[in-house]
Amino acid sequence: MKAPRDSYTLFLLPGALAFLAVVVVPFLMNTGLGFTDWQGVGSPHWSGLANYRQLAHDSEFWASFRHSLFMVVAMAVVPTALGLVLAAALTDYVGKHFGTRLASILRACFYLPQVLPVAVAGIVWSWILAPDDGTLNALLKAVGLGSWQQDWLGDPDLALYTVMGVLVWVQLGFPLVVFMAGLGRIDPQLYEAAELDGAGWWRRFAHITLPGIRPEIYVVLTWCTIAALKVFGAVYVLTKGGPGGATDVPSYFSFTTFFEKTQVGYGAAISTVLTVIILALALIGLKLQSRAEEA
Amino acid sequence: MLTARRRRAAAAAVVVAGSLLLASCGGSGSGSGDGKTLRLWHYEGPDSAMGVAWNEAIRVFEAQHPGVKVKFEEKGFEQIQKTAPMVLNSSDAPDVMEYNKGNATAGLLSKQGLLTDLTAEAAKRGWDKKIPAGVRTTSMYDTNGVMGSGTWYGVPDYGEYTMVFYNKDLFKKYGIAEPKTFDQLTAAMDQFVAKGVTPLADSGAEYMAQQYLYQLALSKADRAWVDSYELYKGRTDFHDAAWTYAATTFADWVKKGYLAKTATSAKAEDAGVSWIQGKAPILFSGSWWYGRFQTEAKFDWDTTLWPGSDLTLGSGGNLWVVPKGARNKQLAYDFIDITLSKEIQTLLGNKGGIPVAAAADTIADPKSKALIANFNTLTARDGLAFYPDWPVPGFYDTLVSETQRLLTGSEKPDAYLDHLQKAYDQGVPKR
Repeated sequence: MKAPRDSYTLFLLPGALAFLAVVVVPFLMNTGLGFTDWQGVGSPHWSGLANYRQLAHDSEFWASFRHSLFMVVAMAVVPTALGLVLAAALTDYVGKHFGTRLASILRACFYLPQVLPVAVAGIVWSWILAPDDGTLNALLKAVGLGSWQQDWLGDPDLALYTVMGVLVWVQLGFPLVVFMAGLGRIDPQLYEAAELDGAGWWRRFAHITLPGIRPEIYVVLTWCTIAALKVFGAVYVLTKGGPGGATDVPSYFSFTTFFEKTQVGYGAAISTVLTVIILALALIGLKLQSRAEEA
Repeated sequence: MLTARRRRAAAAAVVVAGSLLLASCGGSGSGSGDGKTLRLWHYEGPDSAMGVAWNEAIRVFEAQHPGVKVKFEEKGFEQIQKTAPMVLNSSDAPDVMEYNKGNATAGLLSKQGLLTDLTAEAAKRGWDKKIPAGVRTTSMYDTNGVMGSGTWYGVPDYGEYTMVFYNKDLFKKYGIAEPKTFDQLTAAMDQFVAKGVTPLADSGAEYMAQQYLYQLALSKADRAWVDSYELYKGRTDFHDAAWTYAATTFADWVKKGYLAKTATSAKAEDAGVSWIQGKAPILFSGSWWYGRFQTEAKFDWDTTLWPGSDLTLGSGGNLWVVPKGARNKQLAYDFIDITLSKEIQTLLGNKGGIPVAAAADTIADPKSKALIANFNTLTARDGLAFYPDWPVPGFYDTLVSETQRLLTGSEKPDAYLDHLQKAYDQGVPKR
């Protein structure tokens, strides 16, 4: 009799070959192009490590990378923290006192930005944030806070934080939904017992909720960090990396290097570095996750 | 051993994956090459002057070539811009396509041998006589892909240039005289500022701000300066009198309130709309706005060339190019020839475009007549100075981000010029 493992191999074969065709081969080709000075047409010329040497001293790239760390805060750290509190509040408070139906509706509302195409959301936000006739400035003026009006996306000292704010709005729904699903696994009797023992909301959150959904927290943090490192759409639609490069991120930097500057070799080197970093972070995340599951 | 069923499944999997692998390595389409089909790509909207003219050219072409079908594919500008090199490298190339002019675009493709040499056709069919010298600059590229001399690789049918659009009603409303000279222009802007109106429509996130700046530089420049900057016929020093004047004047205009700091994040569309809505009395931009303003601006308006400058931004329009791998090149040449015919050129002019070879007396609309007359004035004095982002690939983004800094005041003119110099020197071809 054949071992079941052999039958699985056959089923895995198409997926593995497709993975080879659309991920491994392009990645290897990209890595190869990173060692050339190719302009996108004609024959690539081998340039060795020149692109990587240039990258090491490229202040624009490192600035874009620093902005990536801000994006990690906006897309991973803040949504995870906020998502945890909101998920616990919706499950433990709103669900209990106002019914699970309302909790579900609120959850759907928070998730809505995730469903909206980023191009649409970006355009709508750029209207809201427009300096002269944008809704936000109009609202501030209407409530007597006219002095708070800003050029939200046009001020280089403010633009990065504004983009971060929009990204928190976009991202929040994802951890919320995952955490609420995770909370469903926790035995309600634990909460009841803790309540009977006199534990307040915060103690229940810290000692039951948090340990209970640790695997979900790792998944969300890993997933969102990767999303933050490769964020492109929001930056493209809202600011195109501006003003004055204040919101540039590696993926947008790579895009302009590829297509605007037609430095395909250099753009490929940037993408390769970005892929390696994301891969490393993903592996660390998976390791932490499996450790959490084993614990 | 595998059973027959499993072998079939495995074979199917290999075929599927193999075709995916092939697809990922680039397509392999087939052109017709039968002399019966002309494959044509362009990206003009069907209602634009060019779109209307090209549609008519297709009709004329089919009438003149019985049995030949034009297979037209409408593309987006960005789509062609970003993917053309890859498509032209494959056998999917069309017979004739519209492509962006300049060193980093048509020049790059010609240097890589992806475009057909049109020199003999241009002489044989008289295109070189029809297209004025200043417009022709973007048709010819040398072996390094630098425009201005060498081989014909593209044919422009129309021209474009920048001008001052002004809202006559707003000038009247505030009792301000319409400017004829540069001093009158600045005096008018001072009066608008005094009345709480920001006079210039502007967009920092897209091309408009850098075009104001380049125009200021051009007003202190000459043809040799432009040739150095755009055609690398000398060293470009961003701290010379023209660039320094441009950067300091621009910064000064921001301080004086001629340009709003809040335009930093505005797109060109925002600036155009603010002018159409009568919020800003003056807009300096290109003839590509002309047709739209004719339709949408519900007030009395006029245009004038930038006062006190022989040079302004402008060039021949986008090019017809014939890919090296085109299968029906003779048909492509015939089509280009038709687009340059008096009939099509006149149609283009009457629809708000700027033809390069129209019969002037057949243009009916007075506004279109004025538009074309100004273009002819410019080409007669060799006044088209191209665009500031052309010389170096990626310079557009540099100009946008640096000019945004100048607009917000986060960078001084001197540092601004330093940064432009660095980016220019890095990207300029070594000759």
